[in-house]
Amino acid sequence: MKGYTRYFRNRILWYLLTFAVALVLNFVLPRLMPGNPVASIAAGVTESLTDSKAAAEMMEEYTRAFGLDKSLPEQFLVFIGNLLKGDLGVSFRRYPTPVVQILKESVPWTIALQLPAILTGWMLGNLLGAVAAYRRGVFDRAIFPAFLFVGAFPSFGLAIILLFVFGIMLRVLPTSGGYGFDLIPGFNLQFIASAVRHYQLPFWSIVLNTIGGQAIGMRSMSIYELNADYVKYSRFLGIRDRRIVGYVFRNAMLPQVTGLALSLGTMVGGALVAETIFSYPGIGSTILSSIKAQDYPMISGATLFITVGVLLANLVIEILYGFIDPRIKANQQE
Amino acid sequence: MAEYILEVKDLKTRYVTRFRENVYAVDGVSFKLKEGETLGIAGESGCGKSTLAMSLMGYYFPPLHYTSGSIIIDGRDITGEDPEVLRRTVLGTEIAYIPQAAMNALNPTRKIIKYINDVLVAHNIRLSRTELREMAEERMRLVNLPVEVLDRYPVELSGGMKQRTVIAISSLLSPKILIADEPSSALDVSSQKLVIKMLLDLIDKGLVKSMIFITHELPLLYNVTKKIAVMYAGQFVEMGPAHESVFEPLHPYAKGLMGSIIVPSEGIRDEHLVAVPGTPPNLKSPPQHCRFAARCKFRQPLCDSVVVPERFSSDGRLFRCLLPEAVLRELKYEDQIKSKQEDAEVELDVNIIPFAEDNGDGDSGKESGG
Ligand SMILES: Nc1ncnc2c1ncn2[C@@H]1O[C@H](COP(=O)(O)OP(=O)(O)OP(=O)(O)O)[C@@H](O)[C@H]1O
Ligand code: SF4
Ligand SMILES: [Mg+2]
Repeated sequence: MKGYTRYFRNRILWYLLTFAVALVLNFVLPRLMPGNPVASIAAGVTESLTDSKAAAEMMEEYTRAFGLDKSLPEQFLVFIGNLLKGDLGVSFRRYPTPVVQILKESVPWTIALQLPAILTGWMLGNLLGAVAAYRRGVFDRAIFPAFLFVGAFPSFGLAIILLFVFGIMLRVLPTSGGYGFDLIPGFNLQFIASAVRHYQLPFWSIVLNTIGGQAIGMRSMSIYELNADYVKYSRFLGIRDRRIVGYVFRNAMLPQVTGLALSLGTMVGGALVAETIFSYPGIGSTILSSIKAQDYPMISGATLFITVGVLLANLVIEILYGFIDPRIKANQQE
Repeated sequence: MAEYILEVKDLKTRYVTRFRENVYAVDGVSFKLKEGETLGIAGESGCGKSTLAMSLMGYYFPPLHYTSGSIIIDGRDITGEDPEVLRRTVLGTEIAYIPQAAMNALNPTRKIIKYINDVLVAHNIRLSRTELREMAEERMRLVNLPVEVLDRYPVELSGGMKQRTVIAISSLLSPKILIADEPSSALDVSSQKLVIKMLLDLIDKGLVKSMIFITHELPLLYNVTKKIAVMYAGQFVEMGPAHESVFEPLHPYAKGLMGSIIVPSEGIRDEHLVAVPGTPPNLKSPPQHCRFAARCKFRQPLCDSVVVPERFSSDGRLFRCLLPEAVLRELKYEDQIKSKQEDAEVELDVNIIPFAEDNGDGDSGKESGG
């Protein structure tokens, strides 16, 4: 057990380091984009001003308000200082709304979309991989390759295809938004029905994109496990085939949990793209519009939120995994 | 109680590879064992020892297939029985198997006690929690393992512990026959001896009635088992009482094999049974004539043109060679057969069996198909 604790202390240190690096990148990268955010934001306001001096003053005021008059390192210190107080700054685009406020609006949409979609895709993928390995036949030769093919599409490509087929050609599902634009969010039947309908396309595009990648790993793990010595030994002991298939499924499934942790970042990235294609009111769409407006605090805040989310999910999976798979536990203790 | 606890008659099994080729890994093996008797099977790598062990279970799954012959356990012919009946009433209870790689034989993610319960449940034995623990603890003590092992996962056990756990599990249902496939190959010499002793104890304690040991390291075995068989290319070429088989082997291959252990002493372990130059025939298309001919020092012209049957010496030992028993008894592996009479061939005293009619499909007369 001592080795186990030490293992996790090391892991947590490692996560903190990753977080620190991500923090710097999340801050610096948006600010390296060419262009001046104040210019575009102020443009709207200063248009009406004929006095060029007044316009210049206005610009200066915005620059000061956004803290852009300071050097980059100084800005970073301010950013960190505010962060410690739980303040992510104020959005440029929706000045003076705080970034935290905007995140609060969009994050629930993203979580409600991505968590179920990624988990569903992961589970269906594992099921398909296991069945393809065990049953062979049509599963292995037709269904599995079909999902592999679909999964190999870039996420925006798949989203656009779905949007085109179901939204534009068949006209069975809405193509954008999280709910009908004429509705006000609330707990009424009309709104929920609308939200469910808007949910379908982004949800399935994420699910379809996840299945193939998960199935491929699960299939090879299952084939490997089916050939393991314990399968043969269990058979010769007279253990029922159904039980042995259970062993194989469990043993092949466990490494897939790490697979989930490893690909979580990519999956979230893909899912964010799907959000923007369907103009879903989540964090992906928020990032897209912030990038267009060079809304630095908003970009940094949103990416920071995603970073923390993915890292935390990873850590939780890793801890859980050590408990459910004795093989890993034994490794971790070494 | 039948006269023999195990009777195997002309057993033939084969692997069918992915490319639909047959590998005739067990090709006509017959022997009988009485209660309390032990048989050692030796032979070089790839001769079919493990395949024979698995074939004896009577429960076949791909790529291994049954071709012909019969396996009679205590009077009951298990060949051709319904696999589900076999699974429930034969596997583990009549005959059990300790696999060659016993270290990897346990499901890594199942606690030993749960796995033991799985084995019991598979045979419709349902014990309460305390009964289960009691019986499992007793079995652990039998193989000198601490009872804590029951609550461990296999990954948390050392190689030797896993080995003993597998012995305990294989003998759990008190099988009449226990087959140990190289039960000790991954261990050091002293642990090997311990494992063998532990297995023999199972007979003394009445848990197991008869045992088959497989090895390619005869030095460990020849003073342990009552009988020894030497396997070559899917067949027994020699079988008899252990001492005679080792010290006065009849078959030329056995003579070569035993050459390396004829001076039995401690520290002999490094000498593996590879003293005979050459390689065995490919089991996909073994020759119809003597399978050992290509490597045999004493080969005669007839050896290349007739089927060699199983023959029995005056004292009932099996040998699969065309040379007369008297000649074989005199021959040493180092001898040259023609040294006394230049150019004269030994007179072969065997009924000549012509080859099976070749049906022209190049299949050397073997039955084929799935
Ligand atoms: N799954 C398989 N498919 C096809 N051929 C196989 C398979 N397993 C074994 N064989 C072949 O069957 C023959 C007998 O193999 P087997 O494992 O029984 O040998 P062995 O005597 O136990 O060897 P060792 O001493 O190395 O354990 C070998 O020629 C081997 O190549
Ligand atoms: S039959 Fe001939 S080739 Fe075969 S072992 Fe005997 S002497 Fe050698
Ligand atoms: Mg073997």
